[in-house]
Amino acid sequence: MTCFNKPPGGRFSRCLGPVFSLPALRGRPFWLIATFAAFQAQAAPDPIITDFGVDQILTELPRSAAEVFRETDSPEEAGDRLQILITQARASGDPRYLGYAQTLVNRWPEEQLTDRLRVLRATLRQSLHQFDSARSDLERVISTSSDTQQRIQARLTLANLELVQGRYKEAEQHCRAFQSGYPGLIAQSCLASLQARTADPETAYRNLASQLADSIDRQPADSTSRLWAEGTLGNIAAQAGLPEAKVHWQRVVKATPNDLYVRAQLADWHLERGHFEQVLRLTQGFDAVDTLAVVRAIAMERMGHPGSNELNSRLRQRFEEARWRGALLHARDVARFELDIENQTEEALRLATKNWESQREPLDTRLLLRSALAAGDKVQYQRVRDWLNEQGQSDARYPEFKQ
Amino acid sequence: MTVTRGIWLALLTVTLVSASGMAAAHKASDSFLYLDNGPTELRIDVALRDLALLTSIDRNGDRQVSGQELRQARPEITRTVESALNFSNSSGNCDLAGKKWGISEHSDGFYSAARYAIQCPDGGPPRALEYNLLFEQDALHRGLVSLDYDGQTRLAALGPDSRTLDLTGTENPGYFSVFATFVYQGVIHLLIGLDHILFLLVLIIPATLSFPKNQVPSGRSRALRGRLLELAGIITAFTAAHSITLALAALDIVSLPIAWVETVIALSIGLAALNVAWPILGHKTWKLAFGFGLVHGFGFASVLGDLTSGVSGLAVALAGFNLGVELGQLALLVVGFPVLYYLGKKRVYQKGGVPVMLAAIGAISLFWVVQRAPLF
Repeated sequence: MTCFNKPPGGRFSRCLGPVFSLPALRGRPFWLIATFAAFQAQAAPDPIITDFGVDQILTELPRSAAEVFRETDSPEEAGDRLQILITQARASGDPRYLGYAQTLVNRWPEEQLTDRLRVLRATLRQSLHQFDSARSDLERVISTSSDTQQRIQARLTLANLELVQGRYKEAEQHCRAFQSGYPGLIAQSCLASLQARTADPETAYRNLASQLADSIDRQPADSTSRLWAEGTLGNIAAQAGLPEAKVHWQRVVKATPNDLYVRAQLADWHLERGHFEQVLRLTQGFDAVDTLAVVRAIAMERMGHPGSNELNSRLRQRFEEARWRGALLHARDVARFELDIENQTEEALRLATKNWESQREPLDTRLLLRSALAAGDKVQYQRVRDWLNEQGQSDARYPEFKQ
Repeated sequence: MTVTRGIWLALLTVTLVSASGMAAAHKASDSFLYLDNGPTELRIDVALRDLALLTSIDRNGDRQVSGQELRQARPEITRTVESALNFSNSSGNCDLAGKKWGISEHSDGFYSAARYAIQCPDGGPPRALEYNLLFEQDALHRGLVSLDYDGQTRLAALGPDSRTLDLTGTENPGYFSVFATFVYQGVIHLLIGLDHILFLLVLIIPATLSFPKNQVPSGRSRALRGRLLELAGIITAFTAAHSITLALAALDIVSLPIAWVETVIALSIGLAALNVAWPILGHKTWKLAFGFGLVHGFGFASVLGDLTSGVSGLAVALAGFNLGVELGQLALLVVGFPVLYYLGKKRVYQKGGVPVMLAAIGAISLFWVVQRAPLF
């Protein structure tokens, strides 16, 4: 029996099946009996190619891999390298950089970590979805550090972490503390995001937009702060259902093409409106980044693009390998792929639920609502609705707005 | 990885090396280890990008790896990979004998790929694998292992905190559980398979009669001991015969069209019933049991084949299934024979019960023949 998403009129279709759960990778190797088709592919690897040509270029190497592993006693140098690696991971979507960063962090004994290294480790841990240990690193810096700059960065990082996890009370506390140490557009963006997610996105949008205009009139804010505010405005506008979202995000993408987060938000926005050509343009050359590749795959499928099957099968292989590995850094993207490409509603719901346990940004919440509707899981759907009511959160992108 | 939003405050920004726009897909660093054939063979694929951290595969430093550069680096690559692997069993560490080397393609580009024979001192398969590649460079590197046993695949991921793997398979359903499952299946199949039960019934009827059908009554009942011996002979012949053909068919040595096998099984019941009344096929019931037992074996094999697809240890399954069938037979005899033996002393059984039973069984048999024969 196959379930299709979005039953008309919000009616639920019963479609319950066995839920397969992957064991978490914790220390010991685990075994999976490969009884399901998804893993059959790996049982027979592609044959070994022995007749490759001498002139064939087999791969291109990134620039800075080797220097990462130079030993250093200097925490400043280690911190610089760590920050570069994390930024590279963020800008390229390449998880190998997180691996190198983890190697670097592992070399520093706990008692020799400086405040900066601890903040960087927390950032790395957040990227690896180790939210609790990231939080405890940041809280420790906030409460014990004598380095003001690191305390401020820790506040901001923690405010964002709490915002992502949907812990709005904690986020507000850190936003306010951050504002008193570092007033300006970034702090205003922090508070506006909170207001949007817990009360009124339209008011939050108007306030932040006028603050941004003021700051540009008064004295040009540094570009980092301005672009951060633009990105936030885009998020809030999209939540409020305002068409201005596109303009704000486009500014960010133009100024920083490597801001994959904003690029993905914009691509999603176009996808929801059926602007498939724009989706293809935005995601062109970003097949390597799961989030963007999945949005691209959905657009291709919906427009009947000839390259659709090829991209789908590449993503399928990539996600199979990720499952084999056992890490679920990709749960959100895989869930969306399962829902919108594979029509595997139960699996989509399982992954979306797992993802929502740690990340509750609007797109995470929408994915879970849609998966629950598609799978006919009233309990899960109501659980999310209750949480949204409790927070006072509404979003034009949630499925109930479209009925 | 999922894209995340993050920000460094201006006061903390460092100069960044711009991220290169590589065309290959991004995934975490994984090597692929495929173990098969016992496992006595290994295929290991390591990403070229990962090998660049360990070996000099980019000699001219242009951040591109050409086919030529890779071929030149082959000795260094294989040495590096081999020294990070350790297979062992109780007789000591095993050697890796290279069989093939080249490249392969995975979702994030080309990998160096090699196939090895794993040679342990005692000639047996390895029992443990230790994997130490790349963990010092990439703490998130994993060795993804696929272990093949008779068509059943098990997957594992090796990491810095779990570098060794037990290859003996204690963590999957072992042979004992396969054996137990198939003993159960054998019993069930015999007990719910009415045709085998009827055939057995027909075979044992002569042994329940006080006077062998074909002998002139000598005025004395045959002793119980003699009848039990006769019964044992019949059952042994049937068992031996169907064991032979079950094994031949299950191991794919002989295969017969199942429709005909089923038809002949149905026919065998009728002929056996007829033979009780008119011994057209001879007086020796054990010969009859053996002959038709051969056909029944093919019938059991078709059930076994449906059950064993995807199960490792076919021989174990076969032995278990066979034992299950025998246990089912034994259970039937233990319950059925005393009843028939008791009835065998009654005239009404001899004169009425047996003919009616034989006629009914014969009719059922003919009905099945018509139903099963692939002619209609």
